[in-house]
Amino acid sequence: MMTVTVLGISGSPHRHGNTETLLDSFLDGARSAGATVEKVVLKDLDYSACRGCNACHKDGECIVKDDALPLFEKMMAADCVAVASPIYSMGITAQLKGFIDRGQFLWARRFVTKTLEFSPEHLARHKGIFISTAGQNRDNVFDGAYPSLTALFHDAGFEYYDNIVANNMDEHKGIKNHPAALADAFAKGQKIVAVIEKLNGQ
Amino acid sequence: MTIKVLAFAGSPRRHGNSETLLDWVLASMAGDTDVAIEKVPLTEANITICRGCNACEKLNKCIQRDGMDIYHDKIIDADIILLSSPIYCMGIAAPAKALIDRMQVFRSRKYVLKLPVIPPERRGKRLGVFLASAGQDWPHVFDAAIPSVKCFYHVIDIKDADISYLMINHVDEKGAIEIHPTAKADATALGKNLLAELKRRLAA
Repeated sequence: MMTVTVLGISGSPHRHGNTETLLDSFLDGARSAGATVEKVVLKDLDYSACRGCNACHKDGECIVKDDALPLFEKMMAADCVAVASPIYSMGITAQLKGFIDRGQFLWARRFVTKTLEFSPEHLARHKGIFISTAGQNRDNVFDGAYPSLTALFHDAGFEYYDNIVANNMDEHKGIKNHPAALADAFAKGQKIVAVIEKLNGQ
Repeated sequence: MTIKVLAFAGSPRRHGNSETLLDWVLASMAGDTDVAIEKVPLTEANITICRGCNACEKLNKCIQRDGMDIYHDKIIDADIILLSSPIYCMGIAAPAKALIDRMQVFRSRKYVLKLPVIPPERRGKRLGVFLASAGQDWPHVFDAAIPSVKCFYHVIDIKDADISYLMINHVDEKGAIEIHPTAKADATALGKNLLAELKRRLAA
């Protein structure tokens, strides 16, 4: 029986804050359901912003050799990826946006060199989940984040499966005081493993 | 009096489409002897990312010492503040987002510490401009960038009605904007209109 692999990517520059805690809860849930879990913290990696040089439009390869590229490989080897970022200024952090922008070479493979294509079955079996918290209580506070996550998941071969988001952190005084967010994330972590196992015929 | 124009070029690619758009707007203002223009390519500005430490909520300043030490004061002094960025992956480019995230010190000053960001007499006498280019031809390609752009301006006391936008889609390769049918004329008109509007407000 193949073990389900779940990769967590934490895009917060602030260690062990609300968003990373929510991600941890999701990953704990997945682990408790039998998945192999790994967490990567972008703050610990060394990668630069996409230069917009479009070199990848020629051969699908990024010419900037740093920690971003192995992380894309690791991500694409996982069954499920949970990408986490707090909302700063109504969007994802510059740190996570910096990583997502570096995925341009995958977009180039799909649409320019046409050397990368994901079947509907592949997309269905690979789940992308966005995890976020925001200080503000506005309902639309996450809206500006979703399109860039859509781009990341689709270019890396993941179905954009779910959002695990909690707003109003300022009023709750942190995720630990939120009435349901951590338990919900844990349950969703458990559930995603069962969903993927079922899709894989186990 | 001198009108101070501060322009951030947010693309990691120098002299590409979004920066060209910015250059056209600046060129249309440059002939005016009352105008002093400073253009800042973010690739050279040494602005690191916000660490989310929230120290500015108590200290009223950022604990990081970098390019923002200079641009913090220039942002307060400027009369017209422009930001240009390409759209990457349906959002503003990471270097431009890094600048916006570092505006947290102004947000803390305004909303947490409830201190003035600019002198009261300058309220309504500052204008913001967002310029963007996108390779995609989708009309909604700019939508996700706009809420962050609004944050950038709101925290420095430039309200929605005082933000202008010029966003050109379907330009990807370097130089593509040069052959766009309306971009240059629109950018030129925008620059002239901004100056006229600001002069009207300063005289009022």
